[in-house]
Amino acid sequence: MSIFFKPPIDIEILFDNEESRKHVDIATRSSNSSYKSMKESLPVYEDGESLGGIVTLRVRDSKKVDHLGIKVSVIGSIDMLKSHGSGNSSSKKVTSSTSSSSSNGSVDVRKNSVDQFLCQSYDLCPAGELQHSQSFPFLFRDLSKRYESYKGKNVDVAYYVKVTVMRKSTDISKIKRFWVYLYNSVTTAPNTLSANETKATTNDIAGGNYAADNASDNTQTKSTQGEAGDVNQVLPISRSNNEPKPVRLDIGIENCLHIEFEYAKSQYSLKEVIVGRIYFLLTRLRIKHMELSLITRESSGLQTSNVMTDSTAIRYEIMDGSSVKGETIPIRLFLSGYDLTPNMSCNYFNVKNYLSLVIIDEDGRRYFKQSEITLYRTR
Amino acid sequence: MAYADSPENAIAVIKQRTALMNRCLSQHKLMESLQHTSIMLTELRNPNLSPKKYYELYVIIFDSLTNLSTYLIENHPQNHHLADLYELVQYTGNVVPRLYLMITVGTSYLTFNEAPKKEILKDMIEMCRGVQNPIRGLFLRYYLSQRTKELLPEDDPSFNSQFIMNNFIEMNKLWVRLQHQGPLRERETRTRERKELQILVGSQLVRLSQIIDDNFQMYKQDILPTILEQVIQCRDLVSQEYLLDVICQVFADEFHLKTLDTLLQTTLHLNPDVSINKIVLTLVDRLNDYVTRQLEDDPNATSTNAYLDMDVFGTFWDYLTVLNHERPDLSLQQFIPLVESVIVLSLKWYPNNFDNLNKLFELVLQKTKDYGQKNISLESEHLFLVLLSFQNSKLQLTSSTTAPPNSPVTSKKHFIFQLISQCQAYKNILALQSISLQKKVVNEIIDILMDREVEEMADNDSESKLHPPGHSAYLVIEDKLQVQRLLSICEPLIISRSGPPANVASSDTNIDEVFFNRHDEEESWILDPIQEKLAHLIHWIMNTTSRKQTMKNKIQFSLEAQLEILLLIKSSFIKGGINVKYTFPAIITNFWKLMRKCRMIQEYLLKKRPDNKTLLSHYSNLLKQMFKFVSRCINDIFNSCNNSCTDLILKLNLQCAILADQLQLNEISYDFFSQAFTIFEESLSDSKTQLQALIYIAQSLQKTRSLYKEAYYDSLIVRCTLHGSKLLKKQDQCRAVYLCSHLWWATEISNIGEEEGITDNFYRDGKRVLECLQRSLRVADSIMDNEQSCELMVEILNRCLYYFIHGDESETHISIKYINGLIELIKTNLKSLKLEDNSASMITNSISDLHITGENNVKTSSNADDGSVITDKESNVAIGSDGTYIQLNTLNGSSTLIHGVVATASGSKLLHQLKYIPIHHFQRTCEYIESQREVDDRFKVIYV
Repeated sequence: MSIFFKPPIDIEILFDNEESRKHVDIATRSSNSSYKSMKESLPVYEDGESLGGIVTLRVRDSKKVDHLGIKVSVIGSIDMLKSHGSGNSSSKKVTSSTSSSSSNGSVDVRKNSVDQFLCQSYDLCPAGELQHSQSFPFLFRDLSKRYESYKGKNVDVAYYVKVTVMRKSTDISKIKRFWVYLYNSVTTAPNTLSANETKATTNDIAGGNYAADNASDNTQTKSTQGEAGDVNQVLPISRSNNEPKPVRLDIGIENCLHIEFEYAKSQYSLKEVIVGRIYFLLTRLRIKHMELSLITRESSGLQTSNVMTDSTAIRYEIMDGSSVKGETIPIRLFLSGYDLTPNMSCNYFNVKNYLSLVIIDEDGRRYFKQSEITLYRTR
Repeated sequence: MAYADSPENAIAVIKQRTALMNRCLSQHKLMESLQHTSIMLTELRNPNLSPKKYYELYVIIFDSLTNLSTYLIENHPQNHHLADLYELVQYTGNVVPRLYLMITVGTSYLTFNEAPKKEILKDMIEMCRGVQNPIRGLFLRYYLSQRTKELLPEDDPSFNSQFIMNNFIEMNKLWVRLQHQGPLRERETRTRERKELQILVGSQLVRLSQIIDDNFQMYKQDILPTILEQVIQCRDLVSQEYLLDVICQVFADEFHLKTLDTLLQTTLHLNPDVSINKIVLTLVDRLNDYVTRQLEDDPNATSTNAYLDMDVFGTFWDYLTVLNHERPDLSLQQFIPLVESVIVLSLKWYPNNFDNLNKLFELVLQKTKDYGQKNISLESEHLFLVLLSFQNSKLQLTSSTTAPPNSPVTSKKHFIFQLISQCQAYKNILALQSISLQKKVVNEIIDILMDREVEEMADNDSESKLHPPGHSAYLVIEDKLQVQRLLSICEPLIISRSGPPANVASSDTNIDEVFFNRHDEEESWILDPIQEKLAHLIHWIMNTTSRKQTMKNKIQFSLEAQLEILLLIKSSFIKGGINVKYTFPAIITNFWKLMRKCRMIQEYLLKKRPDNKTLLSHYSNLLKQMFKFVSRCINDIFNSCNNSCTDLILKLNLQCAILADQLQLNEISYDFFSQAFTIFEESLSDSKTQLQALIYIAQSLQKTRSLYKEAYYDSLIVRCTLHGSKLLKKQDQCRAVYLCSHLWWATEISNIGEEEGITDNFYRDGKRVLECLQRSLRVADSIMDNEQSCELMVEILNRCLYYFIHGDESETHISIKYINGLIELIKTNLKSLKLEDNSASMITNSISDLHITGENNVKTSSNADDGSVITDKESNVAIGSDGTYIQLNTLNGSSTLIHGVVATASGSKLLHQLKYIPIHHFQRTCEYIESQREVDDRFKVIYV
């Protein structure tokens, strides 16, 4: 539409101190392949942080523009590729009311919003007419952000501020995206994966529903409480096994290769270092080299139509040549230098990280073993 | 990241990236330069490089990284922090470039004192495990070692040594592993590559030795056990050999001395294929160096030095015993060099201890027996040769005597002599060897013993020091024993030809045996170097013993002792069978020497103590005894050689006769003469030899003086002349008889105080002289060949002139009339000779020609004195005293070519010339007479 008609009003959204904020570069994955490598720099916000700014409306050609009111809203939504998104009918029902409004060019067009877990809005000005450019400050105080921003193959978690000028004819709207990081507090590591995964997911699902229910009510207190409760719930558990246990895996191909793969723990903050070792018990394989890679697995959709996508975030050679029985190969992988995705989970999708040990023999065959690790973001 | 496809490209890439890196560094763009470095280092990931090529790349890269390191150090706190960089470079995706960068940054950081040195070092060496490829891993660790060389913490040597040892152990593992990589058929290539890389591993031990310095405790307790454990554990041939060698080389020899046990124990646990002897030899070398150094430092305090307290030989001995016990599989080829090295050691440490050597030889003996004599291969035979003849260059036996008197460097000659006389086992081993080998060894030994005889004389002093003076009485007996041993060693040579050849079948090795056999059959007098050497040895022994005794002033005793030794020699050489013809003359000669010595003693006693009859009679008995021995020797030769050497026996008999005559033992002399005649009569059949023998007998007889009693002389000379007149050929008869005429005309021997004109009891009988001459003239006249006849007549004329000059006419019965008559006879005969020739004028011409040239020739060729000389443009022919023709080479008058049958062989031209021989001979005689007229008036009545 906007191609044919130039909207009579230009909307510009500026966050407070936007220039001085921390930014993060996100590769835009537009449908046009030539822009694939383009990067978009977005300001970073964290959970509970207030989001404020100024909306400037400029009237084109000094014409008077009538409107039924100007509304600003902050939206967090989970978007999925259409093909997959169409599958979950249950969630569609919930989000159908808002999905239409997100069909704006700035969000990945291929993805449909399946869940709007955050939607707060208020009117900037009542219905009237705009005669000249006008600025409106806005502020969402102590905004709770449930999920981290995420941009994956099939799923995105997107946050944006949307300003809508409602008119009798088509509304004019403008969105501005921002990025959200959720930090785990330094002292608390998230719960161990195996023990608490189910619990966490149920929590998430519950919380997600709750947030979705309340989204239209503009009540943010409850959702923050829920979040806090979540953290509180986690705390005692994580404290109880504060001493990280080393993870030890026996890997082998019968009569051919037998190694022991050990690393210090299964949860890492993104700034941490993975330290471990590989102990060779038996090698009849002519190994060319051995790599450690970190695989980020995104699985989306509900159980019935689950789609998984792997992407290798790190590929790191740890051994050159073939080892022999009794050798120990050290592993040390600094994570902070890489752009990694922490583990995420909600009822629509989850992101998991796997440490994968890949052995390539001299004939080019690859042998690998994956084991899940949890990554989390710390300040 | 990919690497270049060829080494050339790789070098190009490296150079390019180095340039880029340096440019970025100059612009302070560290990140970019690190990226370039990383790309450059990718070349070191190439798996297709040979160690050499890899090393080339490594060297270039090492330089580049040095640049980088310099930059990093210079800009450390201002532009970057090395601790951060250390983390940063670890993001490098590939392990090889990552580690090179880590080490570069880490070691740069180490230069600063605030750096956590130990942590960094530990971390680097730990992370190096990531490279498990042998070649890449070795170079990486070598890089680590090179970079950290100067940067190890100074205050903690044990940490440093642990660090280096850790690196060493890992390197060794990688190095060993290289052997087992790749396809089996490339095994050889692998081994070669490993040898190329060995220096990288060895460098770690060198580093260790530098770190240790003189900290023996640490060496003994920590380092050595760890290293040796590693060496044993790797069970790899190349590695064990190389590493033990390096260990022996790089660490201080004092350390080796103190840890000898451990080191030797280690070799027991090595891979069975490792050549232990190399290692032991290296060790021995080091220990010997130690001794040398100690001696140089303090040459006088050798006995008090601490090192001598240690029983080094004992340690080695125990080791050998254990080794022999535990490794019965060890072949002789391996075992012998091992023993040899211990011998080297023993000689250096205990130069005078032959017990040790005996022990060692016994061990070898045992081993050889265990091993089975039959199984001795050619290689081990060679080893035995080297072992037994001490050809090993490591044996510091010099034949020079310039070394200081108390230095352990002994003369090889002495050493061997001592060895032979003191080590029974040595002889036993030798006896186990094959005959040809024994011969070789003994040959070698004799060569050594007789080497530089002159220096031996000078060496006598030092030798006497070996034996304290008080032992002199005992020394003689000891000497006899020594001689006995020496002779028993030489036995294979002595009997070398009579014994059945051991293994003629194996063709090429026994060439000399075959050779010996062949000319054994022929029984000819071919020069036999071995037997000649033995004869030499006999003289050497006798000389040596006589020298010793004269020094001790024990002549009385020594004569008998020498006799004993000589008898000993005789009894052992008699085993040689036919060989005695080579060796017994030497023994007999020594008997003669002893006889002369005996006579000297007698004379001495006669002067000083004429009253001591018993002693005198003792010596005269001794003398007679010795003649008996000689006689027996000659008989032995005769018995063992049959007729092949009658000439020799004849001459020996005559020589003995002369000696006996000179010692006034006329009975004995007569016996020997009669023996000579027996030989002549019974065994000499060849007419030419007979003439020679007769001349020889006549010569001997003419010089005798003691035989006049009891008419021995008369009967002998008559017999001699009789034999002469009975010779086969007439010219021989003629010559023999006129020569025998001298037997009745004794001439002065100035040595025993005779003088012509003063001494008046010469045995002279002119009548018999004339009789002889007449008889020979008769024979000459009866010869059919005119030339021969004339020639002989001229010779008789010369003889007559001799007696004419030397005696009065009344004594000699050679009158002027007789001489003139003879001259007339010759002239007549010559005329008839000329008539035979058709062209008489030609002869006169040639005579006048020859008259001039002939004179010149007489002067130049003085050696043809008693023959006539005929000259031609090309050649001179003369006739010898025994009737053979001699062709004289005109080019150099001194050398003569003997043509026994020149007349027949050289054709008619030469035959034609023969006629002129008597003519010229006569001419010269006439000239002589004419010239004598000037000094002797009697000649004036002789008409020419």
